[in-house]
Amino acid sequence: MPSIPLTRRAMIQAGAAGLALGGMGLMRPAAAQTPVALQLSWLHSVQFAGSYIAKDRGWWHDAGLDVTLLQGGPNAPVEPPVVAGTALIGISAADYTAAAVAQGAPFRIIGVAMQKNPFAIASLPENPVRTPADLPGKRIGMAVANTPVLQALCTLNGIEIGDIQIVPTQYSAQPLLAGEVDCLLCWETDLPVAMEMEGIQAQTMLLADHGYVLHSQTYIATDDSLANRRDELIALLGGEARGWDAYRADTDAAAELTVRMFPDAGLDLETQKLQARRQVPLMFSDLTDAHGFGWWSEESVEATIRTLSLMDRTVTPDLWDRSILEAIHG
Amino acid sequence: MTPAARWTGLAALLALWQGLALAGGGWPLAGPLEVAGWLWSNPGLTGRAVAVTLANAAWGFVLGNAAALGLAVIAALWPRAQNLVAGLALVVFCLPLIATGPILRVLMGPGDGPQIVLAALAVYYTTLIPMLAGLRAIPSAWLDLVQSYGRGRWAELAHVRARASLPYLLAGLQISAPAAILGAMVGEFTGAERGLGVLTIRFTRDLDIAALWSMAVVAAGLSIAVYAAIGWAGRRALPGAPPVILAPPRLIRGSPARRLADTALLTAAALTLWWAGVELLDLNPFLAKRPPDVAAAFFGSPDTRAALLDAAAKTLALAVPGYLAGLALGAGLAVLLSLRPGLAGLTVPLAVALRSIPIVTTAPLIVLLLGRGAAGTVTLVAVMVFFPTFVACQQGLRQAPGPILDLFRSHASGPWRQMLHVRIPAMLPALFASARMSVPAAILAATVAEWLATGRGLGNLMALSASVSDYTMLWLAMVAVTLISATIYGGIAWAERRVLSVMAPEQVRP
Repeated sequence: MPSIPLTRRAMIQAGAAGLALGGMGLMRPAAAQTPVALQLSWLHSVQFAGSYIAKDRGWWHDAGLDVTLLQGGPNAPVEPPVVAGTALIGISAADYTAAAVAQGAPFRIIGVAMQKNPFAIASLPENPVRTPADLPGKRIGMAVANTPVLQALCTLNGIEIGDIQIVPTQYSAQPLLAGEVDCLLCWETDLPVAMEMEGIQAQTMLLADHGYVLHSQTYIATDDSLANRRDELIALLGGEARGWDAYRADTDAAAELTVRMFPDAGLDLETQKLQARRQVPLMFSDLTDAHGFGWWSEESVEATIRTLSLMDRTVTPDLWDRSILEAIHG
Repeated sequence: MTPAARWTGLAALLALWQGLALAGGGWPLAGPLEVAGWLWSNPGLTGRAVAVTLANAAWGFVLGNAAALGLAVIAALWPRAQNLVAGLALVVFCLPLIATGPILRVLMGPGDGPQIVLAALAVYYTTLIPMLAGLRAIPSAWLDLVQSYGRGRWAELAHVRARASLPYLLAGLQISAPAAILGAMVGEFTGAERGLGVLTIRFTRDLDIAALWSMAVVAAGLSIAVYAAIGWAGRRALPGAPPVILAPPRLIRGSPARRLADTALLTAAALTLWWAGVELLDLNPFLAKRPPDVAAAFFGSPDTRAALLDAAAKTLALAVPGYLAGLALGAGLAVLLSLRPGLAGLTVPLAVALRSIPIVTTAPLIVLLLGRGAAGTVTLVAVMVFFPTFVACQQGLRQAPGPILDLFRSHASGPWRQMLHVRIPAMLPALFASARMSVPAAILAATVAEWLATGRGLGNLMALSASVSDYTMLWLAMVAVTLISATIYGGIAWAERRVLSVMAPEQVRP
């Protein structure tokens, strides 16, 4: 290993110094604890509440880990800290992981938090999009960067993407409410939540219900960690699984914990509660009930590979490694 | 400007702002009342974010300015090194922060490192340039005196140059205060836990208009306060008003062969620093690409090349008109105010405020106001270029030689004729200097608007490349942005030499 990750690890180890340096109020200085970091994919919110529960209740601490949760952001890609060893596990998605692997990153997917992909098409009830067949002739507001997602949905459902008018918009419900577009490509858990907070019940169509199967909020780790840091991976992901089970049992409490832990994040409690509830059907299914949090089926791997191939990404089932989950739930 | 005029101007601006907000029905412009209301109900959140961002900006301010002083001293002690130091400083200043942010985060790990470094990178150049001028702004008789006592360069520096450069240092510090706050906020985009930048991301995503405008107002207010405080301290500490120096040192005419050799040396030094830096820091090859990787991608893959050139063309198509508009507006307003000084009460506070609102909060708002088309990006670039040009041109207009103006007056020529024949030629060196200095700022504004709002051009290419782990493309785009900035800078320097050798030959050193 190069010297940089070691010095960085040493820096994290110096818990007190870390407190002074980073204001990382999350760290508990403790002896004989292995410091590890979990790289989140976005700003702190209930999207990662399972991790906060595990941290708050000391489950990682009991398993011998001193876990730092690294926040993401618009200019904070997940993959480099995992490759460099700063973070033991990163929260990515199958498409981003596939792209990184194509660039030579030695990643494996070791857990799938979002069984169902959160991409959805939101519309207003008076002009609803209930199935992909409703899309032709509609104006859809979306980020141009997400065109491959819409293209894949169209191919999977035999629709001509040229029949849909793509309007590049800011990531906001405003163009829909102002009538500039008929529908929005967004996440099930953000813009529809924002609209509901404004008292507007949006119609949403999950892309996952129409063939767009793509594992999201996936836990990634490097081959090197899988070979040499197995115990830490098991302890870290095991804490996640416990945390998310507790989350499911009481999503309101999870939202309250999130807002309490991050008073500087500008979070609104009611929005967080609503988002927490809407996340549940995406994360838990009969499959996870039977096998445990984070599990996946071979069929969904095949379907994800097919979806990825529509987006010009070629991966093999080797990208997924279930050995850590088997050790946790087995 | 009298205090009364200043307050009237401020009140008129607030009224105009509230009126516009009311006309839009609170979307997408929140008025001063909405902003005050939001801040009133969120004092703790705002206060803590301000404390974090200000602390990082202050560290960056101190470190960046210390680095600038060190480089300026090196250039003063070894004048032969000046071209290389100034050139390398320009290259580093041109590096796009969209690309440097994630690299710094991986390098420095969690904590405040990237915020502080980006703040330091944002300030050092605007202090270095006036300092390079200031350390030379001395009558040669003083240096002769030092030499006649048998003392050397160090004594010159300590006893003569350092004191002579103080006003220039203050001018540099003043300009760098808003830049430090911007740098710290952009640093927070790389995964910081808290601060004004983090809140800006949250509110942009939620499209919480009142909160977003509150962040813009707080950031601008902080910048203006620090800017004013340094100006006040400067007026207290120094005998005269500090000169407003935004100008790089005078151009050296030199032969074309000499300039070519300088450019080659600079390119070699930059490439060496890059390659050696990656090797010495032992950066992971997944993220950190070396010059051969980047060259191979550019020359080996037509697709990569086409994507890069297409993005560069899109960026330039908006950055260049915005840049020219900013220059024209800055110079035009300076000329107008010199003819009609009464308008200053209205325009000067607006100009300072526009310059001080960190671009990361302005970019989404301007695009909301003006749309994703060309207008939003062009406006943003123009705003970034406008203020330094305006200040420099005001200073330039005052440089018009008194005896010549007296001559014109004695022939009963009116103010317009004086303007055309005396003041505007006297302003040209300042206009050109500011045009050169504004090039990196214009490219920065264009790429930030593309990244945060419009989703096109080089800014978007860099963000997209990072999200799909295409770090070769990211480094390639970084090289492209730096080259574009440096080339335009060089082109303007060339035009400047041509124009000034006719209009103001005393400004170009043989």
